[in-house]
Amino acid sequence: MKGKIVKYYPLIPVYIAYLILFLIGINVSGMWQLVAMLAFYCAIGQAFNIFLGMTGYVDFGYVAFMGVGTYGMALSISHLHQVQWLGMGIIIIGLLLALVMASLLSIAVGAVALRLRGAYFAIATIGVNEGFRFLIEGAKIWGGSEGIIFSGQLTQTFGRETASLLSTLWADIFLFFIACIAAFITIYYMRGKIGYALTALREDEDAAKVMGINVTKYKIIAFITSASLAGLVGASAWALKLTYVFPPQVFEIHYTVECIIIVLLGGAGTLLGPVVGGLVYGLTKYWLTVIVPGFQLLIFAPIIIVIIVAFPEGIVGVLKRRFKGTTFKKFII
Amino acid sequence: MTLLKLENVTKRFGGLTAVNKMSFEIEQGESIAIVGPNGSGKTTLYNVISGVYFPEEGEVIFEGKNITHLPPYRRAPLGLGRTFQIPRPFSSATVRENVAVGAMFGTLSNKIGVDESLETADRYIELVGLSAHIDKEAGSLTPTEKKLMEIARALAMKPKLLLMDEALAGMHPKDIDKMVVFLKKVKEEENIAIVSMVEHIMRAVAGFAERVIVMYQGEKLIDAMTAQALSDPRVVEVYLGHPPEGTHA
Ligand SMILES: Nc1ncnc2c1ncn2[C@@H]1O[C@H](COP(=O)(O)OP(=O)(O)OP(=O)(O)O)[C@@H](O)[C@H]1O
Ligand SMILES: [Mg+2]
Repeated sequence: MKGKIVKYYPLIPVYIAYLILFLIGINVSGMWQLVAMLAFYCAIGQAFNIFLGMTGYVDFGYVAFMGVGTYGMALSISHLHQVQWLGMGIIIIGLLLALVMASLLSIAVGAVALRLRGAYFAIATIGVNEGFRFLIEGAKIWGGSEGIIFSGQLTQTFGRETASLLSTLWADIFLFFIACIAAFITIYYMRGKIGYALTALREDEDAAKVMGINVTKYKIIAFITSASLAGLVGASAWALKLTYVFPPQVFEIHYTVECIIIVLLGGAGTLLGPVVGGLVYGLTKYWLTVIVPGFQLLIFAPIIIVIIVAFPEGIVGVLKRRFKGTTFKKFII
Repeated sequence: MTLLKLENVTKRFGGLTAVNKMSFEIEQGESIAIVGPNGSGKTTLYNVISGVYFPEEGEVIFEGKNITHLPPYRRAPLGLGRTFQIPRPFSSATVRENVAVGAMFGTLSNKIGVDESLETADRYIELVGLSAHIDKEAGSLTPTEKKLMEIARALAMKPKLLLMDEALAGMHPKDIDKMVVFLKKVKEEENIAIVSMVEHIMRAVAGFAERVIVMYQGEKLIDAMTAQALSDPRVVEVYLGHPPEGTHA
């Protein structure tokens, strides 16, 4: 039994990091916005890492799962707000709907696209994201290109104060929860058969098959898990926080690119990587926005490229080598 | 009992016929060497047996079951293990994890958990003499160590048929002798049929195989007991590059 718990020790630094971040956010005035942004990057980095990091497949349409998750929450609030007795239930239904919609989309996409290898998969997923956005806009479903605005319904259901608390505080707290869940799932997968299967297929898919691994099955599991978590992030960080959903915004490819950067910067396929990556990325971006407003990308992009080229294993990959054979080893994975 | 049966198997790559109407049988517990000059289709034959490629024609029967079009991941648990001519380790994983993958997914019951697989891995790693490298990343091993690791990984799958693709190539003659002794021993102990291609290392062929199949240009040229096959003049001819009489090259 002890052996089982030891396996989960690497969660300790992750959860400590989140706790410190959270405490800074609620105790230091004016910090919550920054903390919430960091929680967003960490959560989405961890969610994406379960797919990108563990399988080595790049999904350029990843933001679509956040997008449909956003719709899940929006639909719940805008349709169910009249059902009085539901109360906070509509938020829970919204989260569940986000989860279900994102996983359904991932099953549909995965069943087709995950049969493709590497670059072909990546290209196909760009199409999925754009296609889904145009479907919503063109077929005028879910408010079409207008999107859905539900701030009114939210206030109506919960009252001004609670509604405001939901979008300024609870939406961000949910992100911490999602990040913690994602971290747990990551290590649970890593320590289980699925982790071995994913490592094997990431390194050599054909050899993995010959070893008896049903690679498509494991890729799809990782894909659905990662997509569902993205759906939850969308439901909290976008729907609940902004109280509207606008298609061009939730299918914006640059969020996918940010996710990829966070995972690669921190260390793909590691537990700590996306946390470190999310913090470093978020803080640097924030800092550059303050000191060189308007030019942050111009400076940021080359820095990122240099770092990723110089440290292909990411920050945590480098640390792992550095601390090999020391007591810290079992915490850095 | 017949373990593997190939019937008229043909595999083409575009206009090139890499394996041409191959038929043969392998009995349980046999040790066979497949030899033939470069490009004669040995690796392709392995790929057809393990399911990496499906043949255009013919059938592959394993323990009476037609597996011609079964995907590789479903063949492995039936008892088909293999190594690769160019080693294909899961580079970022440790030696122990690599071998554990074999035990975890390559065995029939498929109920073997992570911990048990790691223990199985330890045993086979010790057998092939890699215990000192057990926690090393597989990618950092020397080519010979990688080959040994692949043998351990394949053995951990508890195969009934082990296909080794030039696993002994590049090894020191002394190590080859040791490996031959080792393979004979595991073959007896685990009742595995071992098919090994040892290419030019006739020393290993003679020491290890009971039966030799000689391939030439995708076809089966000779299938005979070792002593007889190796003394066949056609063997020397194909290795020297002269087409033997009676083949249409
Ligand atoms: N994937 C492929 N696509 C096209 N041609 C191939 C492919 N694999 C093998 N071939 C060709 O098929 C023929 C048989 O190759 P194969 O690798 O099976 O020979 P081999 O007997 O294993 O040779 P070696 O002793 O060099 O390992 C060669 O002419 C080779 O070029
Ligand atoms: Mg070959």
